[in-house]
Amino acid sequence: MDSIVIHSLRKSYGRNLPPAVDLQTDVTVAKGELFGIIGPDGAGKTTLFRMLATLVSPDAGSATLEGLDIVRDYRKVRTIIGYMPGRFSLYSDLSVRENLEFFASVFGKDIESNYGLIENIYCRLKPFEDRKAGKLSGGMKQKLALCCSLIHSPAVLFLDEPTTGVDPSSRRELWENLAQLKEQGMTIVVSTAYMDEADRCDRVAMMKSGRFLTVDSPSRIISGFDKRLLSVRSDEMFRLLNDLRTVSAVDKCYTFGDTHHITLRPGAGISPEDLGRELASEFSHRNVSVREIDATLEDCYMNLEDK
Amino acid sequence: MSSFGYLFIKEMKQFFANPFMPVVLILLPLLLMLVVPLAANMEVRDVRLAIVDRDRSDMSVQLIDRISRSGYFVFASYDDTYDKAIHELSKGNADIILEIPAGMEKAVGRGENAEIFIAANAVNSTKGTMGGGYLSSIVSEFSSDLSVQGGQGEGMPLRIVPQYRYNPHLDYRLFMVPALMIVVIILIGGFFPTMSIVSEKENGTIEQINVSPVRKRDFILSKVVFYGLLGIFAFTISILIAHFVYGLASNGGMLEIYVSAMIFLVFMGGFGLVISNYSETLLQAVFLMLFFVLIFMLMSGIFTPVSSMETWSQYVTYILPTRYFVNILRAVCLKGSHFADMSFDFIMLSVFAVFINVFAIVTYKKQN
Repeated sequence: MDSIVIHSLRKSYGRNLPPAVDLQTDVTVAKGELFGIIGPDGAGKTTLFRMLATLVSPDAGSATLEGLDIVRDYRKVRTIIGYMPGRFSLYSDLSVRENLEFFASVFGKDIESNYGLIENIYCRLKPFEDRKAGKLSGGMKQKLALCCSLIHSPAVLFLDEPTTGVDPSSRRELWENLAQLKEQGMTIVVSTAYMDEADRCDRVAMMKSGRFLTVDSPSRIISGFDKRLLSVRSDEMFRLLNDLRTVSAVDKCYTFGDTHHITLRPGAGISPEDLGRELASEFSHRNVSVREIDATLEDCYMNLEDK
Repeated sequence: MSSFGYLFIKEMKQFFANPFMPVVLILLPLLLMLVVPLAANMEVRDVRLAIVDRDRSDMSVQLIDRISRSGYFVFASYDDTYDKAIHELSKGNADIILEIPAGMEKAVGRGENAEIFIAANAVNSTKGTMGGGYLSSIVSEFSSDLSVQGGQGEGMPLRIVPQYRYNPHLDYRLFMVPALMIVVIILIGGFFPTMSIVSEKENGTIEQINVSPVRKRDFILSKVVFYGLLGIFAFTISILIAHFVYGLASNGGMLEIYVSAMIFLVFMGGFGLVISNYSETLLQAVFLMLFFVLIFMLMSGIFTPVSSMETWSQYVTYILPTRYFVNILRAVCLKGSHFADMSFDFIMLSVFAVFINVFAIVTYKKQN
């Protein structure tokens, strides 16, 4: 059963501005699916979330959550969704416990009835229960925000960049928590700028300039990568980047961690060894290493952008 | 619990979470009501007088003696010529010049008129006009006494005996205190709810409320009611001070005062909402609020009477609801008026309260 059905949503913030979101396609998210949206800053992720969370109304198109229209049934929608904005937005002058109690009572619930859902997350916050929410560390704030958006046991959970500014171990914990929630049948939509996290999603949508460039499972996106990809290193990495861009067989070149990744133009029959020799002889690079590699999600993303 | 209930409790927790705000709530009326009326005094005393006595007669000495006995004046200089005196005035050593013409005593003895000249420095216009007024009344009283003594009954047949009703000693404090009570209620009832709503906007917490099933009506009502109660609390402090320290509202009228204060608080709450609807940041809201509060304070007769304003601005005061609240408070505090005496003011105040709240709700809905 489809939990979320999106029908070419569009939202523009000003008449002279390009639309922040203009999907032009239909997307459905199944019940209990962990759906990722990845894209650079300004891709329209937050605007899309705000539309789905009934905070802004779309200019065109429509969407339903669990069969409820986000415009017509917005009041009912609000009872079944949890939304965690990218920015910390709880009451920083209230304590951890008071925040949780308040958001539970906002939905007409108490903490005990859904405590099982948040137990794993909240146990880490328990020692700080009486601390003001504003005085928590970044990771703890995120945990509290997640608890507050889960306390009414929503059917659909929206998380807008939940791992931005959070340390790696907290990030891993969060994804483990999401996996547990997913097992309980919750539909989760999460946006992120970290490609390694997107691997944990059932399906990801790559978003740019308000549009979904592709929507598929991470493995299928990777297997659909149809170019030859090489990883290149030498002693002078910065000069190497510029030199690679002058090589005719190279289509696209970008830094990837401590190496450079290049894609080759279709039909270019150059082997990694040939390229290595060319770089050493013509550009006098030393300690050149060129290897043919398999694409990751990030490579797919970098190469999608230009379409 | 109803949604209004827990929102109200949340407001309360937030307000008391920061000890600064409860302290402000108590200190604001306390300081305003106790310190300002003592400091701000429109009564004019110690007017510095430069005397140019060209007569140097018994009569001129009597006149000067009477002026000194009035207690309003201190003698700054005693000059022979008007030029010297005006020099003192221009240096700022004197406020008023009194020139007694040569041969005054003889002229009066012959039954002729003598002209006494008064020049006042009106840079400080209150001191100039009030001091000049005092001085001329002393001089005219002196001259009428002379006519009686001289048996010339026709010299001053009519005497004006002013009687100041409701504020017999023209005590400026009695004028100030109701004004300050209004200032207290404007500050608490206007700024607090506005700042609270806009800071929820700034912190993004309003979004968390908006994605929940809480109705906007309950959200706003919880703030207006909570801060309205705080306004009543601060207002009560100022009434107690007005009553027990300054002896105001001794004729009763508490019901009138509280009913008008509540209507006015409803107005200020709605007004604050309109301001917060149009502001995205706290800075914007506070500045906008301050702008209107200043207009309310300076143009609706709180500190300067409406009747002494320019005609066009007197018409403007009709669209300022503070004007009606000021009227009611002064009438009750000084005259002990009742509802029936002030029905127009009550009706107008209520009309404004209803209008602004309707406007607030309409503009709030447009936001989304």
